[in-house]
Amino acid sequence: MIRAFKLEWLKIRNYRTFWVLLSMYILALIIISFGGMFFLEYLKSKGADFEGIDPTILPIYDFPDIWQNTTYLGSFLKVLLAFIVIISINNDQIYNTLRQNVVDGISKKEFLVSKLSFIAGLALISTFILFISGLINGSIYSHVHGAEYVFDEMEFLAAYWYDIFVFCTLAFLLSLLIKKSGFVIIAITLYTLMFEPIAGLILIESPWFKDTFWSNIPQFLPIHSLNDLINVPFPKYIFREIEDNIPLSAIAISTGWLIIYLTSIVFILNKRDLK
Amino acid sequence: MTNILEINGLSKRFGKVQAVTDLNLTIKSGQVYGILGPNGSGKTTTLGMILDVVAPTSGQYQWFEGESNISARKRIGAILETPCFYPYMTAVQNLRITAHIKQCSPDRIEPTLKQVGLLERKDHKFKTYSLGMKQRLSIAAALLADPPVLILDEPTNGLDPQGIAEIRQLIHEIAADGKTIIMASHLLDEVQKVCTHFCVLRQGVKLHEGAVEDILGETNEIEVSANDLSSLEKTLKNHPDVENIETEHGYLTLQIKNDLNASQLNSYCFDQGITLKRLVTRTQSLEQEFLKILKEK
Repeated sequence: MIRAFKLEWLKIRNYRTFWVLLSMYILALIIISFGGMFFLEYLKSKGADFEGIDPTILPIYDFPDIWQNTTYLGSFLKVLLAFIVIISINNDQIYNTLRQNVVDGISKKEFLVSKLSFIAGLALISTFILFISGLINGSIYSHVHGAEYVFDEMEFLAAYWYDIFVFCTLAFLLSLLIKKSGFVIIAITLYTLMFEPIAGLILIESPWFKDTFWSNIPQFLPIHSLNDLINVPFPKYIFREIEDNIPLSAIAISTGWLIIYLTSIVFILNKRDLK
Repeated sequence: MTNILEINGLSKRFGKVQAVTDLNLTIKSGQVYGILGPNGSGKTTTLGMILDVVAPTSGQYQWFEGESNISARKRIGAILETPCFYPYMTAVQNLRITAHIKQCSPDRIEPTLKQVGLLERKDHKFKTYSLGMKQRLSIAAALLADPPVLILDEPTNGLDPQGIAEIRQLIHEIAADGKTIIMASHLLDEVQKVCTHFCVLRQGVKLHEGAVEDILGETNEIEVSANDLSSLEKTLKNHPDVENIETEHGYLTLQIKNDLNASQLNSYCFDQGITLKRLVTRTQSLEQEFLKILKEK
């Protein structure tokens, strides 16, 4: 495992594109995780209010809600991390270095493990940044303190890690299937942020499908099931009651997808001739 | 001598194309084995299969009398066709990956780069290299772990004459160390100069296999020319041990028999009043044998 991770580390260590993309991602994550209060200030300056409530008193950075709030927002950026994965997989194919690695003496399983450990590492970096930023923001803005609040609902961080891991494994599979990285990047971005959400919305909300069998479909879709891991937290400030657990069904469905992705990757790696 | 590689009934089909058909080979330790064949004859596919990057349709192969393929590959230095490295990394950074995979010490990197003449450019990025330098780097990668077996696929492809001579010299040196080399080439001359054994592939079928020295035989062909070619030809025809005289591009080729040698032929002509201005003993080349083999089958 460590050997496999080191293989990937040697490949990216001197790769400037990787470091630039990772820095931009981290910057975006920091802006999103630290920007909440500034955004509420901005709303207030524009005269917005929620049922007569000053937006800046919304307790978005209160422990333990902060974990659900920041992981929910941070999850939107996972597609940027997927770009890094796509480029890394794609490089090994266009430079034929996957073949050279195998010729030099790794098994395809070691290649798989090296890429998965890379993905796990990226997800861990991202989760760690949200954890630190949560601690900082919470200590500044939270109305409650104490370990029983701070470390409550940590499962959202775990769900966030899992969300990124499964999504980047999908990116891994797509870059094996489609060898043009630009094409994969556009396809995965549009599908994740547009095609599947719109299709899901149509199936759930449109008068033709509403309350029919079809409206049950979206929860089984690959992106939807990942998004279900961390529910939209903000309605709680209006309705007070909101799901603040991680639904088991979402874990089960996204794990099902993960198994499909990994099986397909193993199948392709074993079957494909590396010419 | 131990068997380095045994191939039994190996076949590969790509869709409708039968790339390799029922190939059987045994390569023994210390041989410099040439796999010879025109482009598209299945050489690279064969090497790809024994290196686990192309899945055989049927058949087996075995390295080092039964070692597992993955650990065997760590003890094999191999180049397949074009050099494959990360363009954004330097020679040293690229070879660190090779060293990591082959589990050999990174201390080997500098001496190996020196051996292939790339030491001055070791910290330059791979993408800035000329084709010849890229080829050298892939040879360096193959040599890095000091492997007992080298697989070279068209090792002099794209090199200039000086580079070709250097690589051949390198191969000779490596072979002199007692290493086994398996080399694919469409250059007959190369196989002839470098290899001890060879086989000929055509459309994935092995046509011939044997030692290079067996097939080359004895020198018996001579080229001669003089100012007056026709009188030279007449004179030579009178010699009892000369036959098959043919005119070729302003000189004559002939075959000699019964232990007649070039110096005797020269003095014979001189005695007949003809001064030779060209006298070349032709080594029978693999090329002729190769063409003969291709024709026969």
